[in-house]
Amino acid sequence: MTELLSVKGLTRHFGGIAAVVNLQFRVKEREIFGIIGPNGAGKTTAFSMIAGSLLPTAGSIRFRGREIAGWPSQRVVHLGICRTHQVPRPFTGMTVYENVEVGMRFGGRRTPPRGEVADEIERILEFTGLSGWGASSAGSLPTGNRKRLELARALATDPVVLLCDEICGGLNPTETADILSLLRRLRDSGITILYIEHDMRAVMRTCDRIMVLNYGQKLAEGTPEEIQDDEGVIEAYLGRRSWMGRAEQLEEPP
Amino acid sequence: MSAAPASRATSRTAYAVAALALLAFLAVPWVGISNNAIRLLLTTFLWVTTSLAWNLLGGVTGQVSFGFAVFYGLGAYTAGLSINGGITPYAAIPAGGAVAAFGSLLIGLPTFRLRGPYFAIATIGVNEAVRIVMSNLDITGGASGVRLLQAGRFSQAEHYYAALGVASLAFLVSWRVMHSPFGLALRAIREDQDAAADVGVHPFRLKLAVHALAACLTGVAGGVFAHYTAYIHPDGVFSFSTSTSILLMPVIGGLGTLSGPVIGAAVYSIVQEEMVVHFPQFHLLLYGALLILIMLFEPGGLAGLWRRLARRLRGGGP
Amino acid sequence: MGLDDLLNLFVAAILLAGIYTAMSIGMTVIYGVMKMVNLAHAGFMMLGAYFALEMSQRLPIDPLITSVLAAPVFFLLGIATHRGMVRFVPVADEPTLPSLLLLFGLWLVLQNFGYAVWGADDRSIFTPLTMATFRFGGIVVPVIRLIVFGIALLSLVALHLSLQHTWFGRSVRALTQNREAGQLAGIDTGRTAMLAFGLGIAFTGLAGALLANLYSFTPDFGGSFMLRSFVITVLGGLESFSGVAIGAVIVALIETFSILVVPANYQHAISFILLVVVLLVLPGGIEGLLQRWRRLR
Repeated sequence: MTELLSVKGLTRHFGGIAAVVNLQFRVKEREIFGIIGPNGAGKTTAFSMIAGSLLPTAGSIRFRGREIAGWPSQRVVHLGICRTHQVPRPFTGMTVYENVEVGMRFGGRRTPPRGEVADEIERILEFTGLSGWGASSAGSLPTGNRKRLELARALATDPVVLLCDEICGGLNPTETADILSLLRRLRDSGITILYIEHDMRAVMRTCDRIMVLNYGQKLAEGTPEEIQDDEGVIEAYLGRRSWMGRAEQLEEPP
Repeated sequence: MSAAPASRATSRTAYAVAALALLAFLAVPWVGISNNAIRLLLTTFLWVTTSLAWNLLGGVTGQVSFGFAVFYGLGAYTAGLSINGGITPYAAIPAGGAVAAFGSLLIGLPTFRLRGPYFAIATIGVNEAVRIVMSNLDITGGASGVRLLQAGRFSQAEHYYAALGVASLAFLVSWRVMHSPFGLALRAIREDQDAAADVGVHPFRLKLAVHALAACLTGVAGGVFAHYTAYIHPDGVFSFSTSTSILLMPVIGGLGTLSGPVIGAAVYSIVQEEMVVHFPQFHLLLYGALLILIMLFEPGGLAGLWRRLARRLRGGGP
Repeated sequence: MGLDDLLNLFVAAILLAGIYTAMSIGMTVIYGVMKMVNLAHAGFMMLGAYFALEMSQRLPIDPLITSVLAAPVFFLLGIATHRGMVRFVPVADEPTLPSLLLLFGLWLVLQNFGYAVWGADDRSIFTPLTMATFRFGGIVVPVIRLIVFGIALLSLVALHLSLQHTWFGRSVRALTQNREAGQLAGIDTGRTAMLAFGLGIAFTGLAGALLANLYSFTPDFGGSFMLRSFVITVLGGLESFSGVAIGAVIVALIETFSILVVPANYQHAISFILLVVVLLVLPGGIEGLLQRWRRLR
């Protein structure tokens, strides 16, 4: 498989605090690449820099060999990199359909021919489980559907790489399983996915490779099995109460 | 067309109403209405134009500007000075729109780096700075203003049609924008500028574009106004109170809709006409109070209030 | 232009900075606690000016002393305004357009209320002190400006003490620094906001009353001072109380010394241009500039 995204020396400071330090990783085509780590580890910061919503302090981000660090998000989207938000940010005063339409008309690498926009949007709504919600106001959606709308709006931009920021946060197990199967189907259809998650079980079950962040730095990288056995990761888990809880969850039968 | 299309019957009714209204307004100068009433209608059309224009930026895109008098004044002065220079009004007035649009780029390029409320505050500074500069330039006649030469003036009916034409143009442009992908992106910027950029909308560029469009319409209205009144001075057309009026009408009428700005402008013109003789300041007191009430109880403005009442009446009826 | 002239200008600027600080601190308190930009600032300053005028006509006491009464009166007025309308608009981490337009509407109401009650004539407060000066070597200081400076300074000291040593002060500082954390820590945000709004308006009214002793005024009074307050607040970093004083000194210096280079006709434009420039170039205020500078080194 070919390398799609390569990040080198990526660093971001906020005032005097370093949120991400000298981060380095590569993402291959058609994989689900998980990024995990405790709160404040710099996951979302790294995402925002790749998606162009945040300027890096230093470092390089290459997409298909092209340097894109520091590009604004509307330009990055047109290359085929699109993000979702941890806390969904729908255009609340607009309908669900219109939300998706914005992504399709403005983020698409190609805008579908005139007559096909409506069909394409319907297709995306159906794929994300939002069919029937098109005419509803996005502001009136319950949490689960807001997360789906984040996904639908990003998919409308026809992405090559999808950056999913805790897309299962706050969802019940059924909803989580639903979304995870969507992600796998997207991967199988050729989309590369970068996936931040808190829910360890979800990550272990879904990701092809995982990177662990701690204090803005890479702690480990590998397949789910390698991560589970990694000394450094285990130590980090055991060293932290909140992480121990999550590690125990891993032992439960699925 | 965007979104779940409104039912076809409703839009057909809307077309019919618009066409009838246009016909009625076209007939007005022929049916023996008093000159005073025609003047009132003419003023209303100019305010309808500025309201619809302001609404494109403030209502649809969510960027509140306290600086539209700059465009009104640029349009008025460009048209006035061109007419004095011997240019036909048919070219001078559109030129006013063009200059205003150009001015909007100069203002927008730096100020659209600022977010919503900070943009709004910056426009207060821009408006006042421009007014002071204009009051001191020779070309604007300084504080004493410019009188337009009388030769080649329109009849009142011609002025009336010019204003009606501009208002219709503003209505048409607004309708087109609000039903286009451009309008969709503008609304996305209003809702969440960053999220819009994350799915490919270019907020800065689109804001500049809609600002220029709104400025152009406002400038054309200013040009028609200059030609009609034949006398303009910087403390009038460039004043902060002109900006305030241009802002108040669409906000009170109802932001982000087509009917709101029209209603707001009509109500404003009538109220001002009635009040200005006896209580020169009272209409602004009233409008300030109305603005407070609307922000507290009915953000949809008079149009929103009307919809709510209509729904209740329909629901309560047999 | 001799050294004495420069010194005179410098002293004038510092005296101006005192009243500018008092004027802007009201806006900062309200912004800090409620994240609202007080567009009604000008209206309350104008009311403060007419309050001083009314008092000077009714009481046989020096108007400078009665001006101080504006503080408690406007505190109550601010609280009434908060109870009556401001508390109904939603508060966010950033200023919202509804709050901006609401307060703009309030400004319109106050301004035109002023026209209805006092008419459009230029008014001023004239006392034996108005023209009195005081010499110190080559420096000439108008007595009234010195007194106004003193009152402004005293009011700021009182504010500082109340913010440092009372329950209310601690709540204000906590909410200013981190709204969410403050709420979680159990601060009564509604009550703190109400008192902060009252305090902000108290300073605004006091500043208006004091300025009425220095300048003539109409119901339009306050607009350009409001914009100066914006500039000062932004320079000070939006929610820093000590930053306001620094911002005020900078603005006062620029305005005072600009008479050396800017033609008189354009003097009035300075504060407006300064507003735009500061918003664009220094959105993080002086502190932000220093931080950027430090990082560049």
